[in-house]
Amino acid sequence: MGKGKRWGLGLAGIVAAGAVAVGVAVAPSAAAAPPLPPVSPEALVASVITAQPGPLNGTVTVDNELGLPALPNAPQLGNGTQTARVWSGGDGKGRVALPSSDGERTLVSDGTTRWTYDSTDRTATKAPAHRDGAGQPGHPGGTDPQTDPAGAATQLIADLRRTSTVSVDGTADVAGRSAYQLVLTPLPTERTLLREVRVAVDAEKRIPLQLTVLATGQPQPALTIGFSDLTFGPQDPSLFTFTPPPGTTVKDAPAPGQRPGPPVGAQAPKTVGDGWDRVVIAQKPATPPNQNRDEGDAPDLSRLGTPVSGPWGQGRLITTAVATAIVTNDGRIAAGAVPEQVLSEALGQ
Amino acid sequence: MTTSTAAATRTTAPLGRLLGAELRWVLRRPRTLVVLGLLGLVPLAIAIGIATTGGPSAGRGPGLVAQVAGNGFVLPVVALGLSLALLLPLAVASAGADAIAGEAATGTLRGLLLAPVGRLRLVVMKSAGVVTVAVLAVLVVAVVGMVAGTVVVGGAQGTLVTLSGTTLGVGEALGRIGLVAVWTVGQLLAVGAVALAISTLTEHPLVVLACVLGGLIVFGVLSAIPSLDWLQPVLLTTGFSAGTDVLRDPMPLDGLGSSTVRALVYVVLGLAVTAWRMRRRDA
Amino acid sequence: MTPTTTAPGTLDLVPSSEPDGPAPAARARGLRKTFGRVVAVDGVDLDLPSGAVVGMLGPNGSGKTTLIRMLLGLTRPTAGHVELLGRTGADLPAALPDVGALVEGPGFHPFLSGRDNLLRAAATEPRLDGDLRAPVDAALERVGLAGGASGATGGGDAARRRYRGYSLGMKQRLGLAAALLVPRRLVVLDEPTNGLDPAGTRDVRGVIAELHDAGTTVLLSSHLLAEVEAVCTHVAVLQRGSLLVSGELTALLDGGSGELVLTTDDPDAALGALRAAGAGPYLRDGGVVVPAGPLEPPEVVAALVAAGVGVWEVRRRRAHLEELFARLTEEDE
Repeated sequence: MGKGKRWGLGLAGIVAAGAVAVGVAVAPSAAAAPPLPPVSPEALVASVITAQPGPLNGTVTVDNELGLPALPNAPQLGNGTQTARVWSGGDGKGRVALPSSDGERTLVSDGTTRWTYDSTDRTATKAPAHRDGAGQPGHPGGTDPQTDPAGAATQLIADLRRTSTVSVDGTADVAGRSAYQLVLTPLPTERTLLREVRVAVDAEKRIPLQLTVLATGQPQPALTIGFSDLTFGPQDPSLFTFTPPPGTTVKDAPAPGQRPGPPVGAQAPKTVGDGWDRVVIAQKPATPPNQNRDEGDAPDLSRLGTPVSGPWGQGRLITTAVATAIVTNDGRIAAGAVPEQVLSEALGQ
Repeated sequence: MTTSTAAATRTTAPLGRLLGAELRWVLRRPRTLVVLGLLGLVPLAIAIGIATTGGPSAGRGPGLVAQVAGNGFVLPVVALGLSLALLLPLAVASAGADAIAGEAATGTLRGLLLAPVGRLRLVVMKSAGVVTVAVLAVLVVAVVGMVAGTVVVGGAQGTLVTLSGTTLGVGEALGRIGLVAVWTVGQLLAVGAVALAISTLTEHPLVVLACVLGGLIVFGVLSAIPSLDWLQPVLLTTGFSAGTDVLRDPMPLDGLGSSTVRALVYVVLGLAVTAWRMRRRDA
Repeated sequence: MTPTTTAPGTLDLVPSSEPDGPAPAARARGLRKTFGRVVAVDGVDLDLPSGAVVGMLGPNGSGKTTLIRMLLGLTRPTAGHVELLGRTGADLPAALPDVGALVEGPGFHPFLSGRDNLLRAAATEPRLDGDLRAPVDAALERVGLAGGASGATGGGDAARRRYRGYSLGMKQRLGLAAALLVPRRLVVLDEPTNGLDPAGTRDVRGVIAELHDAGTTVLLSSHLLAEVEAVCTHVAVLQRGSLLVSGELTALLDGGSGELVLTTDDPDAALGALRAAGAGPYLRDGGVVVPAGPLEPPEVVAALVAAGVGVWEVRRRRAHLEELFARLTEEDE
């Protein structure tokens, strides 16, 4: 009996050691925050605006804990981790690969033409390129004038400071690179579900590496988009050309290419409020823009959420970790990173 | 007598002769041959299915299998990926089960220990048998897949169209197929090592088979539960889909690499348990 | 711990641990094995004298097989130690090339022929080199499984048929062949005649006799007393895991009983004369029986001759192993 016990202990020991070994061998290890010289938020933003990172390639990981309801037509919005592989020529050329278990979507921009290739139905869609093409997904391209980055940055920070605390809060290690953490925290007067937004900026190349959204009451980030792997250096030029392979259906995109994303309203949406508690109210289109599969089918929202009513009428309430939306029975959609009551007030205006 | 001076003093038979005897035994076992035959049917069935449902226009639809249409070089990769879900692990687990638990059940393990084949040499000899089955199983799927892909399905003008929409020449296509075959053998060795370890704990080969295949299914279930995300790096099945990466261009190596490292850890663990148990096992 | 004292009235005739004489082929000291709470073997001291044919007797479940498995290193003893052909502890397997064994029935692969099974076994034998077919065929010939002429059972091409279709006797013969693949110093046979017909049993006896003539030590476990009595020089009796007695067969039988049976022309006169001489004779089946006692056989005959009684026959009545066994195991109860 004693032998049996010893035996069991030995086996358990080996298995436990193995589990640790597997974990250590396979899981990425967390690195300590690197020491970096201090920098002001204004200087950091200004340097981002003028950053010229040059050619690069890497892997962008989206870690989604938003708590969005699962939609049949848009499974990629559900909780989980998605990765995209990106290559940028640094001159408007780029390639993005979105792998899935049974195929891959590939976007290639050679500077003049943008190709979208979907392996599951072997179609290639062709569209003229526009300059902020693939390369830095998840980051809105700099729209401020490049001529005065310092002024634009100061202006931007000043705007943000009306509703937020803006600071450079320490450093981080993202994809093996040292980065500053630009942190936006809503002022106490803001009525929002969000606790904090962090942007990690590469200390050397000054490009955003990671965006982290934290919601109130949740220790883990609701959304993390960022490089899990990043290498700067010249890229193979053949990456930025695309020739439709044999057996491919080639189509022309009807309009300048739009990335798949949230459904686009038929009318221009209006906004109520400012800063963190801004609410967007849109009119639901009568028929979903369903002509082109590549544009993403509009999910059917009428079954989601819980019934809710207010002075504005009746509708359904959809809540997630970072945002709330109300779809009214008369076809309006109100959404924002705010509690339900703020939406209700906005709809009443 | 045929004894030489070496034979008169040595305490165990030459390793080469032991390995030869083991391989002959493995390859004459009807079970091995049946499983290898079944594995050959997998790419054939896919090829015939694709050929009868039509040409490349039938390529619409979900799943990697649709990628095979008009793209014959993809067949071995897809067939290996499909077989890796169950049939290939079955072949290897069955070899591992027969290796020790099966020998114990027929009473032949006793004979091996009495000969004596040293207990650690026995682990080497049995591992060699399992490796052989893993390699042969993968070879059967890959070679039948290549032949069927070329003859029945036909290539895309002699090239391989990747999932990324690029085309690879014959040389690189063969290289990719070779790579996924080697990678698949690596994953199977992990399964085989675990099967050997379980094999040392029982006298019933079916218990080994049930444990290994049941374990793979449980791993699959566990990896589908979102709240158990943290288990993912530990589960062997997590990396099983990485074989598809050879169809992407440029080929991402991180998935293949991490799954190989994971498989190696399983191999080391499985062999450690096997050696440790065989050192003291009654027979 | 001296197990021979556990059976009172028997003699300890084991020439154990005597410094002179050849080292025993195998030696067990204080051997004990428990499976959970079940004690399978308890405190066994046993020597297998070199060159002897030792019969191990005992009812089913008396621990014979467990003891053999410990002697061969197949099972780890709970306590005690084993020495096999001078090797002990972790070095024990080094003795195994010179040990042939048929333990717990023959173990072979059903999908291979008998010959291929033996070829596989031969490949693992350290003492074999070069062409393995010759020793395999020789072993098959020896146990009567060789193709063609001499096979007593399973003639024809028995060795080339699949093991799956073998009869129990043929399986047993193949197991014996595996144990005899190379010349051994010790051969351990656990119930070798199990399932054999009379011809097969005779063949096995012949093989054991050959081994004995060649100087090989043989350990034969059996529950068939006649079989042991017929072939063994030594015997060890196990009962519920303990060794009741062990020693030379003749000594054990003589030691257990030494009475003389006399045939005379005048039994009554013989009784009177022997009583007068101090013996305690009695009549049985018309013969005079003189129990072992104060008188040695010459003295008995001298007393009768002196009294003028005609003596036709004097013989020492030897006990059968069966009686010895019954006596030993009953005493224990």
